Amino acid sequence: MDAPKILKDSKNKIRVDFERTSLAERLKAKYLSTAFLGKVIWKIFRLVLLVGIAYIILFPFFTKIAGSFMSREDLVDVTVRLIPRYPTLDTYKYIIKENSYFQAFINTFLLSLMCAAVQTFICAIVGYGLAKFKFKGNKLVFAAVIFTMIVPHETIKLSMYMNFKFFDVFGLYGMLNDALHFSETGSIDLINSYWPMLILSLGGIAFKNGLYIFMMRQFFKGVPDELEEAAYIDGESTFGTFFKIILPISIPMMITIFIFAFSWQWTDNFYTDLFFTQSGALMMPRIITVPPSLSDDSFAAQGLYESCIENTCGLLVILPLILFYSYLQRYLIQGIERSGIVG
Amino acid sequence: MNATKADVKVKPQAAKKKKPASLDKKKAHAGWFFVLPFVVIFVAVYIPIIINSITFSFNELEIQQMGGYELIFIGMDNYTEALFVDSGFVPTLVSGMRQLILDIPAIVIFSLFMAILLNEKMVGRTVFRAIFFIPVILSTGIIDTLDQSNSMMNYMQNAGEEMGGEGGQATANEIISAIDIQKLFQNMKIGQGLVDYVVNIVNDIYNVVNRSGVQMLIFLSGLQSINPAIYESCKIDGASAWETFWKITFPMISPMIMVNTIYTVIDSFTSKSNQVMAYIRNVYDSAANGQVLASAMSWMYFLVVILLIAIVAGLLSMYIFYQRRD
Repeated sequence: MDAPKILKDSKNKIRVDFERTSLAERLKAKYLSTAFLGKVIWKIFRLVLLVGIAYIILFPFFTKIAGSFMSREDLVDVTVRLIPRYPTLDTYKYIIKENSYFQAFINTFLLSLMCAAVQTFICAIVGYGLAKFKFKGNKLVFAAVIFTMIVPHETIKLSMYMNFKFFDVFGLYGMLNDALHFSETGSIDLINSYWPMLILSLGGIAFKNGLYIFMMRQFFKGVPDELEEAAYIDGESTFGTFFKIILPISIPMMITIFIFAFSWQWTDNFYTDLFFTQSGALMMPRIITVPPSLSDDSFAAQGLYESCIENTCGLLVILPLILFYSYLQRYLIQGIERSGIVG
Repeated sequence: MNATKADVKVKPQAAKKKKPASLDKKKAHAGWFFVLPFVVIFVAVYIPIIINSITFSFNELEIQQMGGYELIFIGMDNYTEALFVDSGFVPTLVSGMRQLILDIPAIVIFSLFMAILLNEKMVGRTVFRAIFFIPVILSTGIIDTLDQSNSMMNYMQNAGEEMGGEGGQATANEIISAIDIQKLFQNMKIGQGLVDYVVNIVNDIYNVVNRSGVQMLIFLSGLQSINPAIYESCKIDGASAWETFWKITFPMISPMIMVNTIYTVIDSFTSKSNQVMAYIRNVYDSAANGQVLASAMSWMYFLVVILLIAIVAGLLSMYIFYQRRD
């Protein structure tokens, strides 16, 4: 190719004239190469894979939704597959009415909100303490956090129940009781109250809290020390620095933790079944039963119908969560993206 | 870090001279206040719970009418009963551990792959991300319990299979049959074991997807924290995407692989769908004296899993690359 020619148009302007490859040639070079072909194949493969897995994730929800509108007639009709021929809202109506859905909703909402708020804050504090201070015993405390995460709930189910049924810290209450005689048993019965969950949350040892503490710790490790040093030089105390500087910048991460804590507490049926027995506050797990008006043993496909009803109950349980998630999902990913968790 | 080491060394002198504590030391003490809520509740509530649970496993339990309970010490009887008398426990434990070991690579590799896909720039990325994290939020607890024996879901999936005219031979949940995969691998020299493994994973994909949500998030954040300048310089040096993955992404993400492997072990052995846990739960509810027997079984299971975690962590830590941060 010839060297580009420089033409002087006017005093302040020049024009560079060079031979350009024709458009067809350029397009050919760009689109008829193996690299481009590979890219296209990869993109198609990626799309197919993502759509396929998205389908696998969403299909159970579709079946649940389809099943929730089915009436008895649909279940014996062999031509009905996913779309009911005789749609009905009876299932929803009776579940909401007879399983006292709204009462369970309010109770669960209060419990989840309380737990999530407390856990988010406590895990942030503990995570900060573990990440930024080299006090003696730091490693031991961190090991304890991991320990609470590893011990399965089933292992301590019985003793946890016993502990809160006959609650007494180091026999202190018993001693006070011996002196002052407030009650017969010498211990406090905390079952059927919000106290067990509140106590566990306050200590950051409730459901999956080990994971939250770990995530917060990793997040704070990525925060540069200079930020705090600057605040110390300006005469801020350790706590002042934490509340004025560190907490505001960790809000995205805390929203992520809050989303986890709230939704896992919402659908949790281990602790709620354990601490709220039949006579206590009604929680979401216990509305998963067949309402009396819909149970009829003479019907041939009753087992299947009951399964549909139970799935509808499940759907009603997670319905508020779906709304909550669809509103907050971008924060979930943003929080993680900005966190820069390091291993 | 050096400051703390120095602190420890000068401590005896400092105590003698009654010097005011240094700034670093003061700061270090403040750390205790931050972890105080955890430490207090851990010592006051959690440790007694753990100790009780261990004690229960050596005792027989009688709940009294008045409130309160009585323990009768029986030594190792619960353990020997679980190991030698109960016919189901040991086989369940063995097959459960085998399943766990097989599941770990599937979940870790799948979540890493998905995290890389979801990290690429493309149309509809936010939608896909939102969908992929649905199981983390929704398919826990109640829904997990419901899905374990869901006759409605089986019915509807069966319906789909029959409509497809595949014949009634394939079971409800199979997406692909073993024959398809065998045809695919026929000409490659791959052992039968690996083929079966891949087939099982693909058929169990719903389960794998459900269990890899948190891992995907952790990998995603790890991928985000890799400096883009490294990729840029790689590209300038003419490295292909394949090389870039093995030379840059993989080493940089290797600490996350460790974290996720351990998390996967913890998560799957404490989850409800775990067969050993299901067995123990069954014992807890059914057998006479089952509650203490269940404690004994779950402590044994716990020890086995701790051993597994130690082995996995030991093996992986030999290959981990930590970027030096100055």
